[in-house]
Amino acid sequence: MKRFLSLLLTLMLVLGLCGFAQAESLPTITIMFHGSNVTDDSAVLEKVNEYIADKVGAKLEVIWGTWGDFDEKAANALTTGDSEVDMVFTCSWSADEFNTYAKNGFFEPLDEYMEKFGADLKAALPEALIQAATVEGPDGEKHIYAVNGFKDTATQNTWDINVTLLTELGYTLDDVRNLGFFGWGEIFAKAKELKGDSFYPFLVEPAVAERMVTNSIIVTGDSGSVNLLSYYLDPADVTKSDAKYGDVLLNKFATEEYAAFVKQMREYYLAGYIDPALAVAETSNDARTNAQKDGSYLIGTQSYAYGYEYSPEVISRGVEVVFEPCTDPYVDTTVSQGAMVAVSSASQHPEESFKFLALLNSDPYLMTLLNYGVEGVHYTLDENGLVVFTDERANYSPWTNGMGNVTLLPDTQAEGAGFREAFKNFYASGKAVPILGFIFNNEPVANEMAALTNVAAQYALALNSGAVDPETELPKFLEALTAAGMDAYLAEANAQLNAFLGK
Amino acid sequence: MSNAAVRKIKPSTASLNRFGPGTQAVFHCVLGLFALLCIVPFIFVIIISFTSEESIRQIGYSFRPLSWSVQAYTYTFQLGDQLWRSYFNSFLITVVGTFLSVLICFLYAYPLFRRDYGHRQFFNFLSFFTMIFGGGLVPTFVICKSVLGLSDNYAALIVPMLFSPFNVIIMRTFFQTSVPMELIEASTIDGSGEYGTLFRIVFPIVTPGIATIALLVSLGYWNEWFLSLLYVNKNMDIIPLQYLLMRMQRNADFLAKNSSMLGADAAKAAAQMPSQTLKMALVVFIVVPIACAYPFFQRYVVAGLTVGSVKG
Repeated sequence: MKRFLSLLLTLMLVLGLCGFAQAESLPTITIMFHGSNVTDDSAVLEKVNEYIADKVGAKLEVIWGTWGDFDEKAANALTTGDSEVDMVFTCSWSADEFNTYAKNGFFEPLDEYMEKFGADLKAALPEALIQAATVEGPDGEKHIYAVNGFKDTATQNTWDINVTLLTELGYTLDDVRNLGFFGWGEIFAKAKELKGDSFYPFLVEPAVAERMVTNSIIVTGDSGSVNLLSYYLDPADVTKSDAKYGDVLLNKFATEEYAAFVKQMREYYLAGYIDPALAVAETSNDARTNAQKDGSYLIGTQSYAYGYEYSPEVISRGVEVVFEPCTDPYVDTTVSQGAMVAVSSASQHPEESFKFLALLNSDPYLMTLLNYGVEGVHYTLDENGLVVFTDERANYSPWTNGMGNVTLLPDTQAEGAGFREAFKNFYASGKAVPILGFIFNNEPVANEMAALTNVAAQYALALNSGAVDPETELPKFLEALTAAGMDAYLAEANAQLNAFLGK
Repeated sequence: MSNAAVRKIKPSTASLNRFGPGTQAVFHCVLGLFALLCIVPFIFVIIISFTSEESIRQIGYSFRPLSWSVQAYTYTFQLGDQLWRSYFNSFLITVVGTFLSVLICFLYAYPLFRRDYGHRQFFNFLSFFTMIFGGGLVPTFVICKSVLGLSDNYAALIVPMLFSPFNVIIMRTFFQTSVPMELIEASTIDGSGEYGTLFRIVFPIVTPGIATIALLVSLGYWNEWFLSLLYVNKNMDIIPLQYLLMRMQRNADFLAKNSSMLGADAAKAAAQMPSQTLKMALVVFIVVPIACAYPFFQRYVVAGLTVGSVKG
């Protein structure tokens, strides 16, 4: 009886599996995106699946992660080996997740698939981007672990200048350039005089301002929430390191450049040029966005993307805005790993997944469809063939840059004809910083990093925004950093950098 | 006991329980202050939800905004489908979840209280153990999603919270203090079966305890959003209102944290974000039903507190 029963159960299982396999003629592949604002994707997916059925041999489903929940969802899917998620967005700027996941074996190496099915993809992407996605895996060898999105792949920090107000005050852009960060006091004073006490002319993102003034860059693998390391660039030529320091990673807070920066910020803060809300992490972004919305600032900081001045967000400010670059656009490791899609090692359809990614990143029709929606529903074309979004777009707004090769997209009416071409050229001109490709592996000093991050979270923003007096607080801060193991952290980082540079 | 004796005792006990006017005033002040601390933030939220965007931009949050507006609410109503569906989901999950969870808790706690039940120790340990040692997020997620198939369905938002050892212990203690074993023996002698005893004799006695548990559980379900984050990937039709709100909040937090990295994209996304007033309007939507439900439970909770203590 028992034997009969077990036989029956086995039979049922086998038959069940067969039935299942027959019903699903095409495998389903699922991709998880970041930063989406999508409530209805049915029309788009219907078209996508029609299109990719032959080309990829699979059916696509999308998990539209939002800014707030993506990190958690992706981490869950990868660490639990969820086979229902085949592809995930990944990057290195929010918690260095790309390099960590790749190293820990959560991503499928794509080299083999690239050889077999990647001809079109290779043609569509600059070699440097493929290089940037080639990192160390669990076996200690380098493999391609993601399809890297061709987007704004160079960093350029700019001073965001309200020219309307500047002219009203009797200054020109040249004055702003000539006076420089340390000399803007007089312009701010005039602005304050004109606009009254509740007006704050200097609308900074303190951490960005610090990088702009000291010409330091982010080191990939450094603590994500508060950077601890600086690498100083030569502002005149971003392919070189700063002559004074050379190829070395520094304690961000211990240089004289940093001391001068926070001293000046303190001066501006005390004079009332900086909104106190910017000195509090929880309120800074809201305060900044609000002030930007109606153009109530004189000079701000903006990490720039090509064409940002023509975007509706900037135009709706109602003032003339100029983004004045600090340096040429440069390519560093972080930005070159800014938006990628990797295949999960738990995926049961890695081949189909890769084929899909290759197609998405090389086929303008598919990219446009998935990014801008269905023509006639989410957008229409005007007489010049430019994209005009309809109201339906509100229900389908994926994060454009998070999807892949945005250079395939058609120009929109707001951007103007020729925008994508110019965009592509602009980023092709991005120059590589000397330490491009260097990824600090923080594992050996993970404890120190956690302790240092805590210390830095306590002091850095307040100092950077001028809310506290650097005379008394900076020494305390540096002491606390030393106590938390800054020396060991720096030594490890520099040892790795030297090894990377072959010194 | 004669009437005279009662009269004699009454004044003395009364004066024992009465405080002097000074102490009374202090107590009133302290309790009043505490009540104020509880209610003021909520009033503030209501005020903000009726503040105009313009006023927030200029002076920030304030009890006396420069100008009022119902824009947040009109916008909320325009959110339409998603809002009402989520609102409905919140109610559905709370009602179904509370009913099932209380039922399970009641049925689990009852045998644990019955001293004549042989495996009492074992089942007691089984539930208590999970209070101290949890499986952690990843194993829980794997079990729920892969083994139990809790993904993109209502069950995923209800089942993981069904059983709470803490509530079982409260319930068991409640049984112990308010249901005498003699009562159960008596009803057995009178011919009542186990289920009859449980539902017709014991249940009416422990309603205050059940109300307490129901309140705890329903608050838990009502405020739950993390389960949606974990288990809802594609089917956004089933998310509760809380998750809708949390998502807005978390989006804003994420952008604030990563704005320097995202650059122009962050500014673009921030421009699409719902306004502060909208968030507060949603908070009002979330708080009002539970605040309205509380007085109904409260009667039982207070009764429950006193039932246990007036014995002897």
